[in-house]
Amino acid sequence: MKRHLRASLVMLIGATLVLGLLYPLTVTGLSQLFFRKQANGSLVYHDGKLAGSALLGQSFTDAKGNPLPQFFQPRPSAVGYNGAGSGASNLGPSNPLLIGFVTGVNIKGKNAFGTPLDPACVPVDPQGSPVTSPSPGIRYQKSHGQYVCDPSTIPERAIAYRQLNGMAPGAVVPVDAVTASGSGLDPDISYQNATDQAPRVARVRHLPVATVLALLHRYEHGREWGFLGEPTVNVLELNIALEALR
Amino acid sequence: MSASGWEQLGFIAVVTAIAAPLLGRYLAAVFNPDRKAPGDRIFLPAERLVYRSLGVDPSQSWSWRAYALAVLAFGAISTLLLYGILRLQGVLPLNPEHAPGMPPLLSFNTAVSFITGTNWQAYEGETQASYLTDMAGLVVAQFVAAGVGLAVALAVVRGLSGGARTIGNFWWDFTRALTRVFIPLSFLGALAMVWQGAVQNFSAFRDAATLAGGTQQIPGGPVASMEVIKLLGTNGGSMYGVGGAHPFENPTGFTNMLDLLLVIVLPFAIVLMFGRMIGRPRQGVAIALVMAALFLAHTMVSMQAEVHGNGALPASVSQAVTPYSPGGNMEGKDTRFGPEGSALMTVGTMGTTAGATDSALDSYTPVGGAGAFAGILLGEVSPGGEGGGLYGILMLALLSVFIAGLMVGRTPEFLGKKIRATQMKLILAYVLTIPVTVLILGSISLVIGPGTSSILNPGMHGLSEVTYAFASAANNNGSAFAGLAADTTWYNSMLGLAMLIGRFLPIVLSLAIAGSLAGARVHARTRATLDTSGPTFMAFLLGVIVIVGGLIYFPMLILGPIGERFVS
Repeated sequence: MKRHLRASLVMLIGATLVLGLLYPLTVTGLSQLFFRKQANGSLVYHDGKLAGSALLGQSFTDAKGNPLPQFFQPRPSAVGYNGAGSGASNLGPSNPLLIGFVTGVNIKGKNAFGTPLDPACVPVDPQGSPVTSPSPGIRYQKSHGQYVCDPSTIPERAIAYRQLNGMAPGAVVPVDAVTASGSGLDPDISYQNATDQAPRVARVRHLPVATVLALLHRYEHGREWGFLGEPTVNVLELNIALEALR
Repeated sequence: MSASGWEQLGFIAVVTAIAAPLLGRYLAAVFNPDRKAPGDRIFLPAERLVYRSLGVDPSQSWSWRAYALAVLAFGAISTLLLYGILRLQGVLPLNPEHAPGMPPLLSFNTAVSFITGTNWQAYEGETQASYLTDMAGLVVAQFVAAGVGLAVALAVVRGLSGGARTIGNFWWDFTRALTRVFIPLSFLGALAMVWQGAVQNFSAFRDAATLAGGTQQIPGGPVASMEVIKLLGTNGGSMYGVGGAHPFENPTGFTNMLDLLLVIVLPFAIVLMFGRMIGRPRQGVAIALVMAALFLAHTMVSMQAEVHGNGALPASVSQAVTPYSPGGNMEGKDTRFGPEGSALMTVGTMGTTAGATDSALDSYTPVGGAGAFAGILLGEVSPGGEGGGLYGILMLALLSVFIAGLMVGRTPEFLGKKIRATQMKLILAYVLTIPVTVLILGSISLVIGPGTSSILNPGMHGLSEVTYAFASAANNNGSAFAGLAADTTWYNSMLGLAMLIGRFLPIVLSLAIAGSLAGARVHARTRATLDTSGPTFMAFLLGVIVIVGGLIYFPMLILGPIGERFVS
């Protein structure tokens, strides 16, 4: 046993030097030499200042957290695009905080909640009287089940997305626009999501829709090698290009 | 599945089918002590230096007891050293974000987790681990876990097939596993990752002024060098909290598939190496095909479930796949991977001990999550961990020949050696170790306060969170239904215990079985010998794997994912 312990200790000290220091240092050196931009985080500059990373999504909201309509909006994020953290919602597929309904209620078929005023979601205080400003987490008893009145549920996000983009009540929204990403830092949105936002961005910026769509097409990134991953639009790069149009 | 899913799955299948046999041939040459191997001129001098400093004679072959003792001693010393680094990281250098030393129980859990190759992460990667911890602590542990796994597999193969009473030299196996396999491949893989956009630097977090007028912190770190060995060693532990979903670790649709290939090609190659080492390449191919069938089954079920989407969403949220939208269940998944790329990578690694994820398993549909469960509960043999996949499936193959032998009334034999009561007792202990650990510790957690208070999602999904945690820990997988708050006294200690049992007891038992068969008489093949490389045996082995895994866990699966599927 003693000879095993001694050999183990020597092996570990050697491994720490070679694998723990020499290996990462060599990889870092070569990366900085050959792939400098990538190795440092694919940083993006705007007006000479560090504006973020092409690989990390960021929020385009005002100080109160409302989306700025002149920018393309990224996907919802469970960590508010905090670069020092990362994370998903981890809400299960049947969790009321995600789907807006208490489980056990069959909501397949007709969706009664797709109107801009969202009459189904009239929040009530604990005494049962309606409150005017919706606050998260208050549940509204409805005849066929409970509806969770929380702005981060998918039905509520869909309503907010339609309102922001001037879409008709009940209009179809792309799934990536109303679901939080796995990393919480997803830099991309789908083509469909970007196309749905283009008319609103054009209107707020007083640009022809065709101009915004043309710019959008330039930033559409196809699948890798034509068949790996999914097609994407990088929100930060697109928004920087939009700013440059002025 | 959509065209996108089929194309990516096809890509994985084709690359694996080409690369694994080539790598298997290389491995068989490298781990044959009697022959010259490619690369001897470069690696031999370095290896000789290692043996000299360890004070071991690499040509000496050991009994199974000596081999197991060396593995245990090495495991104990490396856990202690890593524990020390974790406790002291606050005062050690290379800590730009000033991560304090980890508390004792969390350090215990983390040290055990990385030494056993589980890479369960109860800590938050960005804030609770320094760069030094990642590099000199965790990365070293990831190499160690990979090397030990492969070494044990080599020893088991020698016991099952060879004529000698000894089963090899641990230090020779371990050193060569590192120098000839893991170090060169990690080096190349890391550079490929950086080329694609993975980060590799030592900067502290940088402040960026966002377009909207806010600030965002841009993290850094030696990410790519850890990313590669995390995958290649079927470890699974990342620098960042969300692992392979983080764009700095897994920047493109290409790296997503490269990640999966780094995990699964080597275990398949190790099985094919086994076939060559015992002089029966067909035996290796037969086992690899059984593994591939399991891999395809549980991965494709998940891909289909995820692209089909979540039925509980309003109809006005389009989950249809179009050229302009990936569709599917996108909660907890990044756009560049889409539902099928995510499920392929995440669930594809669940049949190994890697448990590397690029999406949030907790948000998978019940059927999609059950695919991940299946990979783990069937014993992680599709294709399994580095080495662990091989010795795992060999134990199940021994069980299969025993059952087959009972059916026809003959003494079972595998590779010409008779399987008797001694071996069968050890094999049953092997098969039962992990289920007993999972079910007992999981059940206790469901009835006591410290166990249930950590659950995030209500109802049946909560049951899945807890049982998945113990299944993942005991099988050294390390993935999680991450809603469970695991950094608590109860979970840190009990999951640590589950990881230790799940790693070292199976290693000792499989070495014991190999040792008991080492030197046993090899019987000539006759017409009455069961052909263990033909389609009949392959189907039989597949059945045994599914029945053993299924029967043990079926009640739990009914109450968890299956129940959730039908109620909601």
